[in-house]
Amino acid sequence: MRPNDPRILRHRRMLEMRAFDEACLEALRRGEIHGELHTGINQEAIGAAMAESLRPGDAVVSTHRNHFHALAKGVPARALLAEILERETGLCRGRGGHMHPFHPPTNFSATGIVGASLPVALGYAQAFRLRGEDHVAVGVTGDGGSHTGAFHETLVIAGARRLPLVVLVENNALAISVGFGDVSPTATVAERAGAWGARGMLVDGTDVDATAEAFAAAMEQARGGGGPVLLEATCTRARGHFEGDPDTYRTREEKRRLREERDPIALHRARLLAEGVGADALDRMAAEVRAETARLLEAVRADPLPDPAGAALYLWAEEA
Amino acid sequence: MRDEPSPGTRAALPIPALIAEALAGEMARDPSVLLLGEDVGRLGGVFGASRGLLERFGPDRVMDMPIAEMAFTGMGVGLAMAGMRPVVEIMFADFVGVCLEQMVNAAAKIPFMSGGRQRVPVVFKTAGGCIGSAAQHSQCLWGLFGHLPGMKVVVPSSPMDHKGLMAAAIRCDDPVLFVEHKRLLLSKARDSLQGAEVPEGEVVTPIGRARVARAGGDVTVATLSLGVEHALRAAAEVAPEGIGAEVIDLRSVVPLDMETVCASVARTGRLLVVDEDYLSFGLSGEVVARCLEALGPGALRQVGRLAVPDVPIPAALPLERAVLPGPEAIAARLRAMAVGA
Repeated sequence: MRPNDPRILRHRRMLEMRAFDEACLEALRRGEIHGELHTGINQEAIGAAMAESLRPGDAVVSTHRNHFHALAKGVPARALLAEILERETGLCRGRGGHMHPFHPPTNFSATGIVGASLPVALGYAQAFRLRGEDHVAVGVTGDGGSHTGAFHETLVIAGARRLPLVVLVENNALAISVGFGDVSPTATVAERAGAWGARGMLVDGTDVDATAEAFAAAMEQARGGGGPVLLEATCTRARGHFEGDPDTYRTREEKRRLREERDPIALHRARLLAEGVGADALDRMAAEVRAETARLLEAVRADPLPDPAGAALYLWAEEA
Repeated sequence: MRDEPSPGTRAALPIPALIAEALAGEMARDPSVLLLGEDVGRLGGVFGASRGLLERFGPDRVMDMPIAEMAFTGMGVGLAMAGMRPVVEIMFADFVGVCLEQMVNAAAKIPFMSGGRQRVPVVFKTAGGCIGSAAQHSQCLWGLFGHLPGMKVVVPSSPMDHKGLMAAAIRCDDPVLFVEHKRLLLSKARDSLQGAEVPEGEVVTPIGRARVARAGGDVTVATLSLGVEHALRAAAEVAPEGIGAEVIDLRSVVPLDMETVCASVARTGRLLVVDEDYLSFGLSGEVVARCLEALGPGALRQVGRLAVPDVPIPAALPLERAVLPGPEAIAARLRAMAVGA
């Protein structure tokens, strides 16, 4: 397999995403992030899969757990990390923080309110339709968000208008502590798609190859005018809902098993090794990515924090 | 007695037709302007404020929506982020409860949260005020949106401003809430005490500038929306008694033009705020507090507030009248405050 083989790039993207969130964890330990932090560790396959089919004009509206989606959309990692570290050099000059990154040049945004991403993505989809552009809007949510009224309402409108919208559900089976199986009326989210005239797709979101294929198919349908797609990618959350979550709702054994058996990077590495990719090459790649991310973190750490004198700035257009 | 105007004169236009003129003018001028909401298309709006627009601009730009306010309000946010200028109609102000998330946490916060890098030029158009529809269809709620930062809040009263403030709201690069009063929407331009003449062409009322609707030297009445009409009626009633009431139409809650209010109060020394929104934690208290901060407590001999006492609006007419600050209540308060003037 050549180094620029799509599946090697896929693997590298997952490594970059994990390294990115590990850098966030390190910054948090050092007190350089003073607020809440939600990492996506164990959910890298979905972000890496998205990166392959997203085009510059497409829009992604993400969630509180948004770092990988931002990287997948092409948001500059430097400015993203700086925003997470609350720096003036961040995407949003330190006003948004990790739950609220906005990057208009790539049509990337997020919300910290579960389910609220989808109506905004609907607006992007409608704008693309009105302007005759072949872009797709991707609204990301989780299994928790799939139970909100906004989820239903968004799909009502997108389904009726056949809009180029992909609703991507990262089903990690936990809404903080509430298990998907304990509250969902259906065994999967995807099977509800028929209610809105959408195509429902279900994929193992720990399998990056399968997820990349499924996401590409979803984007193709939406881009081609085939109407909205509800793509559910099952995955697991390796850490607590947020850093500091006592996570007492799962046993140690369960968490250990998730880390060992459902880690998308380990799973993909095993597959690549079985197909003859050298362990050395993958190790070298992992070391490179770690070193690059360490340099990125060091650079961001040197950036200034916002000047308190500007705390009230940027509410209105004339201040921008 | 009012002379019946000859048919076809603009004074006979219903107030919603003036809003429709502003919408049509802006849609013709800027292809990114859109209208979406319940009953805005085929019906032309429940009050007629978008009549004729579907026929003129087509269903891509005038979109009838299902009763899915959370989604279409957020759709407006997304459209605005994607470079369009949507006007989202939320039929009655009371209905914001079901879409507040997108108004408050998305539209109003995203420009700030993005460090000024993401614009959200959306207009939320909604009808407030009492016409006998009781607790869930009568609220004004502009104070709520004044309290929550990030959204401009404009409230037309005169026929001219129904047209001019809508045009200004659409051109504004910030999210704007445009709160109509149902009683005014049910009236015609000629019914207004503030002048019926509104040009057919472009009218843009600058956002954030109050207007002195009637000059007077004894008591300053700061109000807005239908309250301006009530205050003008009351001022006319007490004028023969030698009481000069200066009536100020605030026109916008955010930004609040305290310069105009304070300049008047500095002369009169008496401030009465008339507000059809709830009394507590709202516009009336805010105007008084800012006035005191700006002029100092010694500048005011009399201060009063007339607003809906902190109860939901009741259904029965005598009960509704009892809680609303109408012309009689305003006149009575003016007389009480003007003692010694």
